[in-house]
Amino acid sequence: MNSGTAKWQRNVFIASFIIPTLLFFGVFTIYPVMQGLYYSFFDWSGMSNQKTFIGLDNFKELYHDPIIWRAIGNDYFLVAGKVIGIMVIATFFAVALTRFGFKMAGFFRSIFFIPNVISVVVIGVLWNFIYNPQIGFLNAFLSLFTKEQVTITWLGFTSHTIWMLLPPAIWAGIGFYMILLIAAIQSVPDSYYEAASLEGASQWRQFRDITIPLVWEQIKVSVLNIMMTTLNGSFVIVWIMTEGGPDNSTQVMGSYLYQMAFRQYHFGYGASIGFIILVLSLITTVILQRLMRQETVEMS
Amino acid sequence: MIMKKKFAALGISAILAAVTLAGCGSNGNEASNSPSASAPAASPSASAPASESASPDTTVKLTGDFEIQYFVGGYGDKWWKKVIADFQAANPDLNVKESGGPKINDQMKPRWIGGNPPDFVYIDGAGLNDRQMVEDGQLEDLTEWLKDAKNVDGDLITDILAQPAQQFDGKVYNIPLVLNSWGVFWNKALFKEKGWTEPTDFQSFLDVSDKIKAAGTTPFIHTGKYPYYINGSILYPAIVSANNNDFTILQDMAANKVEAYESPAVLAALNKIVALRDKGFIDKASIQINHTDSQMLFLQNKDAFIPNGLWLPNEMAKDIPEGFDFGFIPSVTQDAGGKVVANTSTSTVAIAKNGKNKDAAKAFLQFIFSKAQASQWAELSGAPSNIKGDISSSNAPNFVKDAAKYLTDPNTIVIPTITYNADVDKAMMDATDALTISKITPEEWVKRVTDVVKKVSK
Repeated sequence: MNSGTAKWQRNVFIASFIIPTLLFFGVFTIYPVMQGLYYSFFDWSGMSNQKTFIGLDNFKELYHDPIIWRAIGNDYFLVAGKVIGIMVIATFFAVALTRFGFKMAGFFRSIFFIPNVISVVVIGVLWNFIYNPQIGFLNAFLSLFTKEQVTITWLGFTSHTIWMLLPPAIWAGIGFYMILLIAAIQSVPDSYYEAASLEGASQWRQFRDITIPLVWEQIKVSVLNIMMTTLNGSFVIVWIMTEGGPDNSTQVMGSYLYQMAFRQYHFGYGASIGFIILVLSLITTVILQRLMRQETVEMS
Repeated sequence: MIMKKKFAALGISAILAAVTLAGCGSNGNEASNSPSASAPAASPSASAPASESASPDTTVKLTGDFEIQYFVGGYGDKWWKKVIADFQAANPDLNVKESGGPKINDQMKPRWIGGNPPDFVYIDGAGLNDRQMVEDGQLEDLTEWLKDAKNVDGDLITDILAQPAQQFDGKVYNIPLVLNSWGVFWNKALFKEKGWTEPTDFQSFLDVSDKIKAAGTTPFIHTGKYPYYINGSILYPAIVSANNNDFTILQDMAANKVEAYESPAVLAALNKIVALRDKGFIDKASIQINHTDSQMLFLQNKDAFIPNGLWLPNEMAKDIPEGFDFGFIPSVTQDAGGKVVANTSTSTVAIAKNGKNKDAAKAFLQFIFSKAQASQWAELSGAPSNIKGDISSSNAPNFVKDAAKYLTDPNTIVIPTITYNADVDKAMMDATDALTISKITPEEWVKRVTDVVKKVSK
């Protein structure tokens, strides 16, 4: 009898945490996602008070739309570029600022973190100025080494302009993941490194066999997070810098969604792009988790 | 029942928010599509205005609520405030509500979707497109009414319009209120100093551009991020010039007729852009910059010509250097001795099909399309109005008066307001961009655009 009451109280306690969360999750996540899926089955301008049910036609059209394929390609290009760029540089900085113990470590840590405090919109505008062919920093800098004024249109190539969006995206992301890795590296006991040094292991060896395995969890989380924020959020930097242009060469799924839903009045089509983003994010998460599975190394 | 309604309302706001959120990440989202969050700033307008300029002889007394939606952009809201106050004074029994602001189109969207729109709408700014609203069945058919509608002074409204209303399948749904023009600008002071001749036709434009280039200045800059500037100022006038000054070709293009796009006039016009490109007249920076950047470079005399709209001097008022003197011509693509072609840029007004007080909305149309408003609009908004009327004695800015002169000149071919299908418009913009950076040929431009036209006209 007594144990029954205790159990019931325990359940009430747990429920008091779970139910409100579940409710909010349902209203603000599940319901909108279902609605998004629902609207993707309609031909709707987004302004009309009538919409026509067209089944899977939006998805069929997407399949034949060359721009969405380019957008998906660009999205995954940004994912790959950012994962490699950010992880290599952030790990390098994190190791440099913790393992080599030089004086200005704190100062550099703050410097590298600054881009994270700046809004992505500001970053986009800032890099637009860097890339400006006439008054931009990059061409002015390159002109120092050439006889003639350099006038490269960094954001106006006939193709591959998406490459130019990688530096700002990486630059903006390093700080956060660096801090994450610094915290992880600092929690590795110094005695491991001391022992390794005594055994004659080089810095590289220590990095490869002690640091990497012990911070693998953080690396994994970072990679997944970069992937998800890129697939869902690359819209902002693209829209600020190029609006998907020139000639759709920098279009990503998010920017194409916005273009279709709000500029070309195909809201149902936009909703179906939104659904594709969700599905691709889920699939990519599962695949990446599989790929990065590794025996957990315990620190004791 | 109530629950059901609530869910429906919630659903609409949730989906609008959700789809943007799903695609756009969390911050810096310019979509500003959050109808659930902010109610439009609907407020009853001042009920006792000081001045009463007009006294309409409306036979029917207007009563009830009457709501006006107006977007506030480059033309400001001074004129709207004034004309609404005057209209309220003339109709004391009518409760006039104004819903205006720079974000009003997004804020009112749920009401248009929900079948509860305002009575009267000014179609301007992002998020409203007249062609789309007609296709969505949101606008009242004004064809019959406009035939013999008289304004408050007893003039036939169609008689005092400088430009006629656009027809959609032969029907009229909206009436142009603003009359602006695309064209090409230069700095008269600079041209005088360097001894360059101001262009009057395509050959003189090319000749002077050669000189300008030889002098070390880039002849031509445009905004590649928003290619409708170059389309509006160069391409469309060029098509009309090449089509023996007959602008119906553009109307056929807007009606999604494939033959119109395949006309030799279109190719001839595209080849003029190619000529500019191949002679190296187009500033290479153009492709990646927005309108503000291109306008700044132009104001710094780094580039000699810029395709733009007549709002340019007003828009850049704060940044115009001392001694800068705007020269303007609506088109540069005509042959020597040919007529100048002015491609107009208008904003229109319309009545909502599902509006509740259409009588008041029609009375308001009769009120605002009167001669007195021509100079009042020009003064308060800094743009020419679509109402015929002599504004030379008004306090309107000089360039507005000049523009008005151009647009009423019998030697100017004036292209009336034309809205293209949004998909076709985007395809034309992308293709023009691609053309200016040598990615495609004029034939490929036509192919690309006609493919989209065929798809949307299905």
